[in-house]
Amino acid sequence: MILKLIYAAFLFGAGYLFTHKVLPRSFAAAGRRLGLDMKPAPHWQKRFKRFRMFKRGYYSFLFITTLFVMSLFLELMINNKPLFIRYDGRVVFPAIAEWTGKALFFLPPRPMDRKSDFGQPGDDEVDYRLFAAARKDPSLFDRHVAAREAEIAGIGDQLAAAKKRGLFTVEERQDYRDLEEFIPEIEAEIDLLREAKGIFAAGGAFILMPAYPYSPRENLLDMPGQPPHRPSFEHLIGTDDSGADVFAQLAYGFRTSMSFALIVSLSGYFIGIIIGAIMGYFGGWTDILLQRFTEIWASIPFLFMIIIVASITQPTFLLLAGLLVLLHGWIGISYYIRGEFYREKAKDYVQAAVAMGASDWSVMMKHILPNSLVPLVTFSPFNIVATIGTLVSLDFLGFGLPIGSPSWGTLLDQGMKYLKYYPHLIVAPSLALAVTLFLIVQIGEAVREGFDPKVFSRLR
Amino acid sequence: MSAMTTYFIRRLLLIPLTFIAITFLVYSVLRVVPGGPIEQAQLQIKMAMMGEGGASGMMNEAAELQIPAAAMEELKKYYRLDKSIPVGYAHWLWGIVRLDFGRSYVYGQPVLEVIISKLHISLYFGLIGYFASWLVCVPLGVSKAVRHKSGYDTATSILVFIGYSIPGFVACLILMVLLGGGSYFDLFPLGGFRSENWAELPFWGKIFDQLHHTAIPVFGYLMGGFATMTMLMKNSLLDNLGADYVRTAFAKGLSEKRVLFVHAMRNSLIPLTVGIGNALGLLFAGSFLIEKTCNIPGMGLLGYTSIIQRDYPVILGTMVFLVLIRLTGNIFSDAIWAIIDPRIRFGK
Repeated sequence: MILKLIYAAFLFGAGYLFTHKVLPRSFAAAGRRLGLDMKPAPHWQKRFKRFRMFKRGYYSFLFITTLFVMSLFLELMINNKPLFIRYDGRVVFPAIAEWTGKALFFLPPRPMDRKSDFGQPGDDEVDYRLFAAARKDPSLFDRHVAAREAEIAGIGDQLAAAKKRGLFTVEERQDYRDLEEFIPEIEAEIDLLREAKGIFAAGGAFILMPAYPYSPRENLLDMPGQPPHRPSFEHLIGTDDSGADVFAQLAYGFRTSMSFALIVSLSGYFIGIIIGAIMGYFGGWTDILLQRFTEIWASIPFLFMIIIVASITQPTFLLLAGLLVLLHGWIGISYYIRGEFYREKAKDYVQAAVAMGASDWSVMMKHILPNSLVPLVTFSPFNIVATIGTLVSLDFLGFGLPIGSPSWGTLLDQGMKYLKYYPHLIVAPSLALAVTLFLIVQIGEAVREGFDPKVFSRLR
Repeated sequence: MSAMTTYFIRRLLLIPLTFIAITFLVYSVLRVVPGGPIEQAQLQIKMAMMGEGGASGMMNEAAELQIPAAAMEELKKYYRLDKSIPVGYAHWLWGIVRLDFGRSYVYGQPVLEVIISKLHISLYFGLIGYFASWLVCVPLGVSKAVRHKSGYDTATSILVFIGYSIPGFVACLILMVLLGGGSYFDLFPLGGFRSENWAELPFWGKIFDQLHHTAIPVFGYLMGGFATMTMLMKNSLLDNLGADYVRTAFAKGLSEKRVLFVHAMRNSLIPLTVGIGNALGLLFAGSFLIEKTCNIPGMGLLGYTSIIQRDYPVILGTMVFLVLIRLTGNIFSDAIWAIIDPRIRFGK
């Protein structure tokens, strides 16, 4: 237990160093190599400094970003596949392969590791946890062999009994032959197990499981009792009603929620900036028409619309993100950008740029936009909070991400079914949601403090 | 005519346009997608025939499972699916103008009746939730503003942020786990509008039962606007406390209480009224997430189940209510805003 805690702390420390030391430095180094000046402008430096002064928010920022970057490598930390497995000279890296397979999704999928190649009878995928257990406890083989020998004995008894009764019909003879054919199969399995035992004893087998050896999609049906299971030492937050580990689902759900929110906010910003900039910069009829259009668009009850669309086709991750951006994500920010552009447009530096013959596009994007970034930055954390909330509600209603994708909302939906008897199914995801959103809100407060400080003067 | 009147007239004129644009969008989406009334009717007839066929033993599947062409035509005609989308939409719109929303496939009643039978439930929870949020947020915001940057302010800020990061329906779920019996305490019922035997209860029992069922959902509604409203109250009061007229009031020797509650408060409450339009939508339409979580048979749940059951007239009917309330609500709250605060002038 303590060892595991130390391991987790070590992983988090490594994640922190990678996220906040290695990544920014290599980013800056790459920028310098490209000949860019990677030092932020003085007023940005001041903002960053003020941001860091708001301790709660700054630490939340460090924590959440570290967790998110770590969650990009979840397959290496929470998985039922081992990082590394060696058996009889065969070396495979299943978890790493799964991770690269997801990162390079366009490559053809890698064939699975078959049981018979790793000293386990059968043709389906290796039971890695059994493999690990066998390494710890070699008597497991003896038990499996004994069980199979008992099976052979049982079949022998059946055959003898059938002989005694006599084989009269065609079916009875067929059954007899089928049973007889089982025996060599089981004998082959016993041979395989005995051979595996030898290899294990000789040190030919090695396995390194991830820190938390369960996958969010794996149905653990061989556990004692009916799923859902209550939290235990082995499964930190228990399992859901299909026997999938809840802790693993929460961790993968964090990644899904965060990346979904990031994608939706970023693309919403992209569209919102363009439309808002066009409205504010050109003004006049363009502005009026676009504004009326935005007004109409904003009156669509977007959650309702998404549910209607989702009730017809099961949306994928990208379709859902696209729908959310299109129906809702760009509207709020376009208002702010429009206002900012209206204000900035009248200033002298814009006149100067226009007088020098800069094109509309370059005035908008190069001159005005950098000066109207403050509302964008201050709103983004709250935007992310809202998007995660929307995703959770959609998943909760059953109109979110495709079935089988680990998500907090689906867990909540399940929890509602077992409200009285399995409270962990509600408490765990809502706690994860609340803590994550709380930390992001703290970041938002720090960003607001840093970028848009408000000083209240008060007379008493 | 002042600029403001023209502004509001222009916005009122935009309502029908917006309304038509949205409902046409939804109508076309519903017409294009599979699973419409014809498919539903076919399915029902198939089920019925399967029953009969099963009874008589033998059946010729391909021949018997077809709906007669004449019946099909009739069905299509009834739902106006024989016409093109714009024509069908025009018929539907004409029906709406005459307050004929069509018939629900599921309830078999006129849509308007179904909606009206649910309206008071959503209204009940929405109104209580809205007043509760004023009762909680205004005092909290004021006390936070008065003790700005104190320990009390920081502590309640954290409370507010926790409130912000828990969606209303999740709060309801947590409360139901904690207080709804089963695992921890058994204080409140698990959702529903009233108990089943409500009509038989004595007078006080009725009131108690109703309040008993109200607590958890109202808490969810409260959570929805809690953080925004409290912070809005606090910030606007702080803004006003720094204003010149407050200094003048202090300078002429008024007590702090009087300055705070009579002078500054009046102006600080103005920004809070902006939310009225939005709240109006919530009042009528209900938050369907909370209604689903707490199993309250209101407008929100009606809209949600109608989508699941593909009850198109009800989907469109709830949509009409939702959109109309939201559009008029926005204008309404802007108008209120302009009336109570003479500094605000629209249309310039």
